[in-house]
Amino acid sequence: MDVIFRAMAVIETRGLTKRYGHGDAAAPALVELDLDVREGEIFGFLGPNGAGKSTTIRLLLGFLHPTAGRAAVLGHDIRRDSVAIRRQVGYLPGGIAFWDGLSGTHLLDELAALSGRPPVRRTDLLDRLELSAETLRRPVRDYSRGMRQKLGIVQALQHDPELAILDEPSEGLDPLMQRAFYDILDDLRAAGRTIFFSSHVLSEVERVCDRVAIVRHGRLVALEDVASLLARRRRNVEMRFEGDAPRLTAVSGVSDVHVTEGLLTCRLEGDVGPFLAALVGLVVRDLTIEPARLEEAFLEFYEDAIDRPTDGATGRAQDDVVQGVRA
Amino acid sequence: MNGPLFGHIWRANRGRLAIIALTLLVWGTLLPVIYDAFGVQFKQLQDSGIIPPQFTQFGGGDIFSLTGSVALGFIHPIAVGLMLVFAVGFSAAAVAGERQRGTLEVLLSRPISRRRIYLTLLAAATLFVAVVVAALTSGALIGAMLTDRVAELGPGNLPLLWLNGTLLFVAIAAVSMAASVSFDRLTPAIGLSLGFVLLQYFMNALGELWPDAAWLQPFSVFSYLDARAALSGLPDPANFVVLASVIAAAVGYALIVFPRRDLAAPS
Repeated sequence: MDVIFRAMAVIETRGLTKRYGHGDAAAPALVELDLDVREGEIFGFLGPNGAGKSTTIRLLLGFLHPTAGRAAVLGHDIRRDSVAIRRQVGYLPGGIAFWDGLSGTHLLDELAALSGRPPVRRTDLLDRLELSAETLRRPVRDYSRGMRQKLGIVQALQHDPELAILDEPSEGLDPLMQRAFYDILDDLRAAGRTIFFSSHVLSEVERVCDRVAIVRHGRLVALEDVASLLARRRRNVEMRFEGDAPRLTAVSGVSDVHVTEGLLTCRLEGDVGPFLAALVGLVVRDLTIEPARLEEAFLEFYEDAIDRPTDGATGRAQDDVVQGVRA
Repeated sequence: MNGPLFGHIWRANRGRLAIIALTLLVWGTLLPVIYDAFGVQFKQLQDSGIIPPQFTQFGGGDIFSLTGSVALGFIHPIAVGLMLVFAVGFSAAAVAGERQRGTLEVLLSRPISRRRIYLTLLAAATLFVAVVVAALTSGALIGAMLTDRVAELGPGNLPLLWLNGTLLFVAIAAVSMAASVSFDRLTPAIGLSLGFVLLQYFMNALGELWPDAAWLQPFSVFSYLDARAALSGLPDPANFVVLASVIAAAVGYALIVFPRRDLAAPS
């Protein structure tokens, strides 16, 4: 085997590139992606529309053929062994469509048969996602968007795959079902399963993912632990005090200090120790340190795109970013 | 071939198959009955010379003999139209239609190679075509039985007729499926397939009805269905070889093209 992969890497890509078209007109959809997804983690894959998320997923599953580079999923090369890969993978496409004439039960039965593995998790998933037997007897064409999404989640996970690739999985789910879905992901992680998770909803990525990759214009711009990403983010601080304003401008990690009539606001990055040390002796009436949100981290990565003027392709990129962040 | 996928296709199409097969069975039954009722009068009309001979032998069929009636039943636009429900309708939609609806996604994500998906769809199309052609052939036999003309029909040669008809419509199905694997939308796939069939049918009809255009006939797959010769027990083996070659070419194309295509996310 010419591709050597580490034993613990469930997904590993090296220089993975996809261009559509030929010659000079070829449009890059993904450029030299280097990625490692470890066994037993929930990996978030973030980016605005057109960033290359779906292209990456489709390359991993063999729907697309790479222009250059290589990749392996569960030790199988994506060019040669895509059937073996799909035997061990559960996939939830974005905006999933089903054979609408079938009932929910028949659809799940047929998809399980096509997977070639028994649906050992189905009962549990149906129970947790509150898909009743009565609902499953109805034709899928009568299902609401949320019910279809639940059915999509069940079909992707019912055969207990080693790796689940989920494209915008919580789309259409109400908050209660989203919570149930996150619990399912937690249980899968506890069982040693790996989840590759593409999303626009940053709060859910923050809630469930261990690590996150951010792609922009087909390129990987960040790959790190969610916790590290958040730790490096600047927190918003609001403090009411009495007496003289503390001198914070020289304190490590503190920036954007504004003081007006007993109210101090600033931004705080990294270790809070120096900041708290600078407050010793000050009469503090109220202190709020707003937790760092992944949205802010995400926005920072896209800052230069957002600052660009809205014309042509750049404008679209900007709109996508804003839309992605707001989603 | 993939068993669960074949089962899914069968369950999704069995109702339509039953309706089309039943309709063709009735159609196949009617022509011997019509021949029995009016054949003598039509024969007198033909012998009078009023009708040009090309028009009385269109598609190798006529209603002046029992074998001619059955041959006409195979090439008549009504029969061809019904056959095309599966030869074009099912086959052109098999991949492009699923892709357009987005349902190909869940299928492609299963551990089945694209070649196997294609071959399973082709096997299903072949079965459906074989069943509807068998229904038409059986109808002819039933019609002959109802009119007490079984011996005149030569029932021992009906399998040859079935094989010739099945090869013709499987060839059309294979071409339609080659179009289906080439497009992401149903409209171009079905448009190309129907265009192919109409052109082929027109070339054959023109070649038969107009002696100056007879050179067009060998370029039409319909000219390789010779029902009358099949019923006589003396079909031209070249007919079978040509139709089988068309099938092989279309299948070969699809087996090369489909696995190599990039299937981007449905829009």
